[in-house]
Amino acid sequence: MYDRPTLSELLDAVRAHLEENIIPLLKDDRKLYYQTLVAVNALRIAGRELTMNALHLQDEWARLNFLQNSADSIPADDDEARAALAERSRRLCEDIAAGSYDQYPRKAALFEHLLATAVEQLQVANPRFLQILALEDSERERRR
Amino acid sequence: MRTPTDFRQRITEYLEAVTGGVVEIKSLQPLAGGASRDTWLIHIHTPAVDERLVLRRDLPTSIMDSALERDQEFAIMSAAHVAGVRVPQPRWFCSEPHILGEPFLIYNYIEGVSIGAEVVSLPELAEARRRLPEQMGEQLARIHRLNPALFDFLPRPRPGYSPAQEAVLQTRAALIRLGVHNPALAFGLRWIERHLPEGGEVVFLHGDFRVGNFIVSEEGLSGIVDWEFSRLGDPCEELAWPCLRDWRYGSGHLRLGGIGEREPFIRAYERASGRRINRKVVDFWEILGNLRWAVTALAQANRHLALGETSVELASLGRRSAEMQLEMLRLIAEQGV
Repeated sequence: MYDRPTLSELLDAVRAHLEENIIPLLKDDRKLYYQTLVAVNALRIAGRELTMNALHLQDEWARLNFLQNSADSIPADDDEARAALAERSRRLCEDIAAGSYDQYPRKAALFEHLLATAVEQLQVANPRFLQILALEDSERERRR
Repeated sequence: MRTPTDFRQRITEYLEAVTGGVVEIKSLQPLAGGASRDTWLIHIHTPAVDERLVLRRDLPTSIMDSALERDQEFAIMSAAHVAGVRVPQPRWFCSEPHILGEPFLIYNYIEGVSIGAEVVSLPELAEARRRLPEQMGEQLARIHRLNPALFDFLPRPRPGYSPAQEAVLQTRAALIRLGVHNPALAFGLRWIERHLPEGGEVVFLHGDFRVGNFIVSEEGLSGIVDWEFSRLGDPCEELAWPCLRDWRYGSGHLRLGGIGEREPFIRAYERASGRRINRKVVDFWEILGNLRWAVTALAQANRHLALGETSVELASLGRRSAEMQLEMLRLIAEQGV
């Protein structure tokens, strides 16, 4: 057990320092200013990944089980789970390239999995992107 | 690393050599540029003129496989300028490494806004945005008329392959090179292969024709920059590229670069070029464009991860790939999976 701050609290402390103390000093150097904004955003991504990673691993594993009609259980260790998931994704890529998912209904099931995975990635990397898409979709629905 | 004073001094000496007179640099400031290029605004004063120039220089470590050399970019900009394309007039290029360390080119500065987020949102550019779709169509038709025979160095589809087939080969090769096994990208590649359009004309392409590479003034499109990705390809590819969601800068509901609708742009292009454009083929290229940009984002991150270019900006691009992946999937869903 480590003393506090926790990992996410540390990330947050660094992010707050950059945002409050460093970025205001950089207004005159556009390049450095922009790069530091990107760095702050990277820390936010890391923070969200910490909170969502375990859940996303489980969900992706369950989706692959459904897609591949398998009942494998996910390795308990996080690193092993990630490695196993990467291996399953690699095989899935091979199957896709070989045409195993060209026909319905497998194609539709694959598509749902891919959509869910892309959304999970963006919940970590850029939740605002998802919000804007949802807003746009509802706006388009409304106009219809 | 050279000091700013030294940099200024070297540019002054260079400009004095090429102009044959006394040159005073009144100001020298960095402009927002791409991840591989260094761009400066130079305000000079000579006994004859007072003018503003832009200097673009390679960064020492830039590794963009497909980017052109500065002298090639210079040749293309010159030809485009002569052909009446709205492009800043190129002035000089220099490939001597002892001047600024890396090759550079200098062209006339054009007043206006190029940052995408500003082009789509500044209130004073409202009228410009209204004009842009047609101007873009007319300008693109001119660009596609440039004679490819003048530029034997341009990348092009290998013999026997259509531009779309060439893009498939390159995308697959890039995924292998990067060691990426991403099912969404594998699926996108498979979908593209199964929906390849018939044939396809091959013309000169700007290569990165989109909001962000346009200098926009209140009158609209005043200058087209960033010719480093010029190549030969399918005209429909370049009608689709400025429609990619990532070039809408937050105004996602406006398909053409966050500034307007796609249809007036394509219609203006048809009028000016005499081509009939199949919208379905443009849809196809928008999907392929997202696939390629998704892979390129991973390749950019790889420059940081594996090629020794430490950069938080490059690294972060890797996590942006999912934006293009999701957009690609949504567009495929619209066409029917």
